[in-house]
Amino acid sequence: MKIIEVKNLNKKFKIKEKEKGIKGSIKSIFKPEYKTINAVDDISFSVEEGEILAFIGPNGAGKSTTIKMLTGILYPTSGDMMVNGINPSKERKKLAYTIGTVFGQKEQLWTHLTPYDNFKFFGAIYDIPNKEIETRIEELKTTFELDEFINTPVRNLSLGQRIRCEIVASLIHKPKILFLDEPTIGLDPVVKENIRKLIKQMNKELGTTIFLTSHDIGDIEKLCKRVIIINKGKILMDDTMNNLKYHYLNKKIIEVKLKEKVDLQDEEGISILKAKGNNLKVEIDITKKDMADVIKLLDVDKIIDINISNIPLEDIITSIYKDAKALSI
Amino acid sequence: MRKYLYIYKATLIENLSYIANILLGFINFFIMIFVFVNLWQYIYSDSSQIINGYTMEQMIWYVLTTEVLWYGSKNKVLLQEISNDIKTGNIAYNINKPYNYVFYILSKHLGEITIKLILYIIVGILIGLCFIGPIQNFNFINVPFILLTLILGVLINSILRIIISTISFWIEDSTPFHWVYDKMILILGTLFPIEMFPDFLKPIIKCTPIFVVTYGPAKLLIDFSMQNFTQIIIAQLIYLVVSILIVAFLFSKGVKKLNVNGG
Repeated sequence: MKIIEVKNLNKKFKIKEKEKGIKGSIKSIFKPEYKTINAVDDISFSVEEGEILAFIGPNGAGKSTTIKMLTGILYPTSGDMMVNGINPSKERKKLAYTIGTVFGQKEQLWTHLTPYDNFKFFGAIYDIPNKEIETRIEELKTTFELDEFINTPVRNLSLGQRIRCEIVASLIHKPKILFLDEPTIGLDPVVKENIRKLIKQMNKELGTTIFLTSHDIGDIEKLCKRVIIINKGKILMDDTMNNLKYHYLNKKIIEVKLKEKVDLQDEEGISILKAKGNNLKVEIDITKKDMADVIKLLDVDKIIDINISNIPLEDIITSIYKDAKALSI
Repeated sequence: MRKYLYIYKATLIENLSYIANILLGFINFFIMIFVFVNLWQYIYSDSSQIINGYTMEQMIWYVLTTEVLWYGSKNKVLLQEISNDIKTGNIAYNINKPYNYVFYILSKHLGEITIKLILYIIVGILIGLCFIGPIQNFNFINVPFILLTLILGVLINSILRIIISTISFWIEDSTPFHWVYDKMILILGTLFPIEMFPDFLKPIIKCTPIFVVTYGPAKLLIDFSMQNFTQIIIAQLIYLVVSILIVAFLFSKGVKKLNVNGG
């Protein structure tokens, strides 16, 4: 069942433009000039119930604007959208009961209150009876291992502990969809891993649909089966993680340490990324050049050490962003 | 309703830890009261004199009450937080919750001022009793009526402030409008009772928020009559309903204009 459906969604922002200096400022008072920006430009997609979707793109791509429209904060200029069968622009309050939001860069918790009081507060906001809140807090406390700091004011918690509490607060009303906007920003690798594990567990046990935006490739790689890449308001790619990797995995990186220097040049299917002394780093396009041929070129007898790897996902995504820029979408 | 009560309670708890800040604010209050006590004592050359229907004691108690309301209910939530929320886009994180943002702000504001207002009322009464003496003909039976107009006055003032702040949806800064409102309340409604103004101005001032926000409760404290109470409470109820309708209308229009970039 589709839980999010978006059709031809557009959001235009009117931004005031001002010429430089005092003259420009005065001019803009009497004759303000505006330019229109298509923050979201005719996008369509859908999300299945229980899916973990990565919605990614460079800064200013339109990710947050899309999330804000889907959560009823911003009104679209045109287009249709349904989230859990509700139109966010028309029934924002009704929608709020069925969704949860976590913004990694924004505290939603009241910092002077303890996590426990915050959860009680959020429970009250979502009209959950007192008894039910207690049971819910107890459940989430165990899952998210909050025992140690549930009675410490939020302002005294570490970032990792706070994010854990932010997620719990957003789950208190059992939302069907959770919007996570950069949930692991600023966290150390261990805590990141822990948060990812919890997100995955929550998706599996509670069936919560997860709509994730992140600049952290690890989040995307470890959590999501499907990815939508957006740039300049347009969707560049909407595909499964496996397809994304498969299409780009025809490129391999060879790092090799040789006994003596080998004269290898750029040619079709081979591009030298780095050559320093007897060390070489080469990118091979296996649709154009067989791996065996490249190894022959390197001369097997001269190889001391060799490492063949796939292109990191981070590079794949960066190249998709760059291609889009080159095509000036 | 439960959620707003919870917001009110949470803010109240937070403010309990800032009592020292409130106490520091009393310095300003004491200076103002000192100036006005001296000013009125100078104007009333003879303490039995009556100016525009007010004895010197009544006049000073009037100023004391309006100053208590002025200082006790002034708060950054209404003056800055809404405008900042709109300007910075932070409002986005509040309007995606299942509560009404206007009532959320109102509950928060009332939670912030409750302790402050109570402290100012206590201190105001003490100053009044020590320097001017008790109010003549004061009857304790009237206290619930006076308190009711006082609470409604604070509530109306808060909603009017929210209306002013929502202007930020259309223009960048609502501070100048708060300034105009401040000065109107301060000059026309705090320092002198309506009776002190020229006849042609009186009906105009009676239609302004001054009548329901400051004059009403202060007038009832120094000179209670059922007729005055009825007049004030009716005006307050009209103001309350109309201001709620205006704020609801402005907010629903403003939210559609919201531009939140990035983040």
